[in-house]
Amino acid sequence: MSDAIDVDELKTWLEDGYASSVRTAYLILGNRPDAEDAVQESFLRAWKFRDSLATGSSFKPWLYRVVVNTCNSKLRKEIPHRNRRRPDDDLDDVAMIEDPIGRVTLSHDMISALKDLPAHLRVVVVLRYYVDLSEHDIAIVIGRQPGTVKSRLNEARRRLALHPALQSEAPSSITARKEKRS
Amino acid sequence: MTTFDEEMMKRALHEAADDFAISDGAIERILDEARDTAVSDESPRIRAFIQRNGTVRSTVFAVAACVVLLAVAVPLFNSEGPANKKVQFSALPIEKVGTHGDSGVVISGTGSLAGQVSAVGTSSPVTLTAGKTVKSASASSLDSSLRVEEVGTIELSVGGTHFQSTLTQLTDFATTDGGFVASTQSHVGNKSTHSYSTGTIVLQVPEHNFTMLVDQVRHAGVATSVDTSATDVTGQYVDLQARINALQVSRTQYLKIMSRTNSIGGILSVQNQLNSIQSQIEQLQAQLNLLNSETTYATLTVALSEAGHRVVAPPHTGNGVEMAWHDSLHGFAVGVEWLIRIAGPLLFALLLLAVLLLLGRWTWRATERRRGGIS
Repeated sequence: MSDAIDVDELKTWLEDGYASSVRTAYLILGNRPDAEDAVQESFLRAWKFRDSLATGSSFKPWLYRVVVNTCNSKLRKEIPHRNRRRPDDDLDDVAMIEDPIGRVTLSHDMISALKDLPAHLRVVVVLRYYVDLSEHDIAIVIGRQPGTVKSRLNEARRRLALHPALQSEAPSSITARKEKRS
Repeated sequence: MTTFDEEMMKRALHEAADDFAISDGAIERILDEARDTAVSDESPRIRAFIQRNGTVRSTVFAVAACVVLLAVAVPLFNSEGPANKKVQFSALPIEKVGTHGDSGVVISGTGSLAGQVSAVGTSSPVTLTAGKTVKSASASSLDSSLRVEEVGTIELSVGGTHFQSTLTQLTDFATTDGGFVASTQSHVGNKSTHSYSTGTIVLQVPEHNFTMLVDQVRHAGVATSVDTSATDVTGQYVDLQARINALQVSRTQYLKIMSRTNSIGGILSVQNQLNSIQSQIEQLQAQLNLLNSETTYATLTVALSEAGHRVVAPPHTGNGVEMAWHDSLHGFAVGVEWLIRIAGPLLFALLLLAVLLLLGRWTWRATERRRGGIS
């Protein structure tokens, strides 16, 4: 009886957060099958340990924490030991397939640059600019201090700005600015 | 520093992610999986244990704190304090341990199966050595061949009118116990010249009466210091005997050789060897006799003084500044000793704490990982 109720609760979770979660995992992992596997595993795990969510805690960071850690686990343990998937599964190729003409270049180059980031920087970039979490919430998600999040974001932005794919873009689509020290 | 435009990044990421088409039936697959796994879920006990994480964590920290406290406290309590002197007590105490008389003098003794006995008093101005073969009641269980050289010193304070009578009494103790007075030295004081009566008497008694003599002397006045010690010289004694025996055998051999030698040169050569051996034998025999004598009789030195005057305390010539300087140096040394003493346990405790913290962190993160997949 209670299981049925809980599964209904899980269904609510999925309806609310599956799409954004799987896209987040997709941006982090870089391919569809791993993203779907990770999100499925994450939701099941979160639902299994749903009682551990402290009262008053925010659900969204908690859920993303589970997702991000499942992705990290895959990045550490599974993906490095696996043969390359079909090219169609890769992030940049998927991004190119269905893009309207006006944004293909930007998305493709951005995703290409994102793939070249180290995983720990890629995670904070995705959480900050796609999931739109605050630095505080990102700190909760990745289990680090907010200062660490800020540092990683700065480093990620610096690397992205220096990435060849993005530097070759026209100034109208990619703006790189130079901040001068006062 | 060159950075990337944040709005552009947001737009690019959303564009890329929005192109990710959600698979049909993905949610249903997860729900089906959840229904299947609900049956084989973890036991309630494990879940309850994990949910009690706060209590578990507190308990772990409390246990860790207790272990660290014990790790620090036990070595510290086992070690001695900086002001304490080391006193060893072993299985065969010969002297009594306790506080003597009204003077509050602490008399302590150490003994060992090897027959060593010592007692430490507050001061010991006169040192006297004596020897005996241990046959006293407290050491009767030792082997009869055990040779122990015993030392005893007692500082005795008596009333001015009883000074001479006490000297006589001490002499009687020695003779009654089968011993004798080895030496006496006394000075009779005069109140008009503000001088006090002092004296030293050396008593030698058979070793089996030494303990009784000490007890008698201590009660003849007010003992302000009792110091006895014993040294096991059995090894030295046996060694001397063996060397003498060996030399005697050599001497016999040389005598045989000498009886068969006809030449003058040979006789002179053997005679030289015999003289050398004989000399060595006599030296060793003298040492053996001395040792035998020392271990046959125990010697007790009694320093007598008239009440109110201590003959043994060395006069202190330093002024207040000098004393303060010495006290300061002593305090510094004591502090350094204390620091060195606690450095070991403290280092051990820090290492233990570090290990516990690492273990706790590892356990905590493992638990977190199980609960939410968080590392």
